[in-house]
Amino acid sequence: MAGIINPAIFQKHPEEYSSKMFIRSRPTFLLLWNVAAAAIASAQFGPPPSGPPPLPRAAAPVDLTGYWVSLVTEDWRSRMTAPPKGDAESVPLNPEGRKAALAWDPAKDQSSGQQCRGYGAGGIVRRPGRIHITWQDDNTLKAEFDAGTQTRTFYFGSPQGKGADWQGISVASWDVPGTIMTRGSFGLGNPGGPERGGALKVVTTKMKAGYLRRNGIPYSENAVVTEYYDRFDIPNGDSLLLVTTEVNDPMYLTAPFWTSTHFKKQNDAAGWNPTACSTP
Amino acid sequence: MRKNETTKAISMKTNLHIVLFSAALFTQIALFAQTAPPPAAPARPSPAIDLSGYWSPAVNEDGLERGAGSEIGDYAGFAINEAGRLWALSYDPSRLTLKHHQCDGYVAPYQMRAVGNFRFWEDRDPHTMQLVAIHIWAQTTEGFRTIWMDGRPHPPAWAPHTYQGFSTGRFVGNALVVNTTHLKQAWLRRNGLPESDQASMVEFIVRHGDHLVDTTVVTDPVFLTEAEVRSDDFFRQPSDHGAWLYACDDGEEIIGRAPDVVPNYPLGAQPFAKEYSKKYKIPLLSGIAGAQSIYPEFTARLKTATDAEAEALLRPAPGPSPVSQAVDPEPHDGEIHVWPISPHVYMLVGDGGNIVVETGDDGPFVVDSGSGQLADKVIEAIRKLSDQPIQFIVNTSFLPDRTGGNPKLRASGLDPSLVGSFFSMQFRGAGLGATIIAQQNVETRMVEEKLPAPSWPMDTFLNDRRRKYHNGNAIEIYHEANAITDGDSIVHFRQADVIVAGDIFNTTHFPFIDIKDGGSVQGEINALNEILNRTVYQHEGQGGTMIVPGHGYLADEHEVVEYRDMMVIIRDRVRAMIKNGATLDQVKAARVTADYDTRYGANSGPWTTEMFVTAVYNSLKQAK
Repeated sequence: MAGIINPAIFQKHPEEYSSKMFIRSRPTFLLLWNVAAAAIASAQFGPPPSGPPPLPRAAAPVDLTGYWVSLVTEDWRSRMTAPPKGDAESVPLNPEGRKAALAWDPAKDQSSGQQCRGYGAGGIVRRPGRIHITWQDDNTLKAEFDAGTQTRTFYFGSPQGKGADWQGISVASWDVPGTIMTRGSFGLGNPGGPERGGALKVVTTKMKAGYLRRNGIPYSENAVVTEYYDRFDIPNGDSLLLVTTEVNDPMYLTAPFWTSTHFKKQNDAAGWNPTACSTP
Repeated sequence: MRKNETTKAISMKTNLHIVLFSAALFTQIALFAQTAPPPAAPARPSPAIDLSGYWSPAVNEDGLERGAGSEIGDYAGFAINEAGRLWALSYDPSRLTLKHHQCDGYVAPYQMRAVGNFRFWEDRDPHTMQLVAIHIWAQTTEGFRTIWMDGRPHPPAWAPHTYQGFSTGRFVGNALVVNTTHLKQAWLRRNGLPESDQASMVEFIVRHGDHLVDTTVVTDPVFLTEAEVRSDDFFRQPSDHGAWLYACDDGEEIIGRAPDVVPNYPLGAQPFAKEYSKKYKIPLLSGIAGAQSIYPEFTARLKTATDAEAEALLRPAPGPSPVSQAVDPEPHDGEIHVWPISPHVYMLVGDGGNIVVETGDDGPFVVDSGSGQLADKVIEAIRKLSDQPIQFIVNTSFLPDRTGGNPKLRASGLDPSLVGSFFSMQFRGAGLGATIIAQQNVETRMVEEKLPAPSWPMDTFLNDRRRKYHNGNAIEIYHEANAITDGDSIVHFRQADVIVAGDIFNTTHFPFIDIKDGGSVQGEINALNEILNRTVYQHEGQGGTMIVPGHGYLADEHEVVEYRDMMVIIRDRVRAMIKNGATLDQVKAARVTADYDTRYGANSGPWTTEMFVTAVYNSLKQAK
């Protein structure tokens, strides 16, 4: 072999390669390159699939479905009890955020029908409770939360709805590491390498303004919530769901607000207890 | 040649090259396609994700715990059992003023929650480029972790424990899964919530862009009723932060304090136990309920929780004591296992008590001879370490797990320093056999016990230290008065920096304080402190001087410190009860060892918890 060819560089500066490759004709080389690349890809990944790519459900690198119960081992006090007004430990609030947190009025939330502000997409996974994840169809995952009786819908295709509710619009994708060249050829990659695995990535926008924590720690309607759902199987036979959440909200936060929340897999719906939204 | 002819020639040449190149390329592709995929590399995982680089923790959770530190009484969200809860409630942060705790390192699960910088990097075989290890450097306490990726097994149960433990990893899906064992006793939380040396950890490390999450699952049969799941978030730094070190040297923080003082609170008398609940106006049960506090149902439970039921959890529950949940480090396979401590000093495990052998030009120098059940195999193991006969055997006490192999080991040896000396004119057969050295009371007790004469030491000393220079090593034997018995010694190999503690220290059970043969609680504490007076840690409170226990795994000063602390704390509790007129039965009923029972306790066998408490009581009563 004549070495590794970077097609991007080649298309810009074919002369750099021409002397080595004894090729003077750009169209000839490009044709050759494309043919070779297709053959390489075929060699690496098998013959090109016939027909459309698998639907998200069939392509899932990880099974997230089932009932999951939250394990409240971190931020215990802010999650399991009602911390006092203004207690925003560990949350990177900016001055506007602090002002909004201090203006929190749970009675007003209750009377104005805003009692679900603590159960929106920016904070719902932090509420102690259970999640029930199912496939709504081949393109859509549904996550039901018994805390606040909330439902989130994760769309792999075009999202439906317009948002402007507590859960906003969630666009889903599979986050699979090393999709390119994880399996080897030409000395690159790792023949027989690791299975790819992967996580569910969900990006949520267009939510109503809500609370990161039940005591009125705010996020705005312009916040963007990016989540990754990973599943781990631990030696004792349990399975864990890790939800990594990044909330970006220039209105109230000085930096992304990162949390990672754990759930344990249940065999059934035991403990499933839908409750209405409430204020502390 | 004309120009167009030249061009034509070049063109023909080029076309020929293209044809040749194409043929070569497609031949290779065809060959590859037929043979692909090649066989997988055996048991050598390649990275599914690249963790290399500089990472900083995102402390958006548990900021108080990871910053200033949580309040005493805040153990919410931890599945602690009674022992864990009481251990934490007895903890006094002033314990950190003790010299041997000042530079304690962070144990791996806690290390990953530290707020300093982190660096991950790969170690690859330079010839094969296979991944050998992934290293993690943590700025806080200079924690240095190695995750072996080459499929090597974990060490045996008698191997040393370290703050970072022994870790192996493999990639599963999109995660690096790490299994860590051989951890030291340390914290789950800095407010004294303990994690035992029997804990193990499984981690799942995933990376999503520049966001890395390490999920830790800690299992601890001593202090937890179910696995503790937590996770730590990190964000990637584009360049070196330049802050990686964490200097620590211990010093004298409180002048004039007696060496046997260990700050602690009596069981049931933690003055700050309610501080957390009062400060945050939440039920007292919140912080001390154990596993139930992890699950959503606990929010409803809190609504009916009373102070009375919570207060009952602040002291030991009446009833029988639980027993040790620790792994038995004895192999029990009828074989002798050799663990190298330093280039010429070895720990031999398997004959009912640890044996130490030092080798060199002068011949093996042995400390203790085990129970004698496997004496032939002990001799065989020593012969594999040295082709010379055993010259000296030191007994650290007269107890059978120290002296049981004396007759056979002695008979297998030779002491050339006596052969042909004036001793040989006085004693027939002098030097024909190893010379057994011990404190005089060892011989006295063995004679009293009518043990066979060949097991007696023939070279005894009184209360001074005994010195030997052997195999190029300065060896000091110190008598520790009235510790386990009245004839105990510790042996210090100075160059190798190894101390053999005998039964004064072990990692398997409460100290076997043999009152009738001269042992005492205070003597045991003093002996442990004497060991600590001779240790020098290598880094952050670990390594350096290695300590061979009578039973259990090879240790360093940290394990001795924890054992000393335990002995002092239990002494304090019993002494306080005696002062208040308590009877032995009342002391037993008070379960003064409740926070240590799941680590060292026994309800059967040669040394039960009850026997230990009785010994402590009687010893303190005698000393009164």
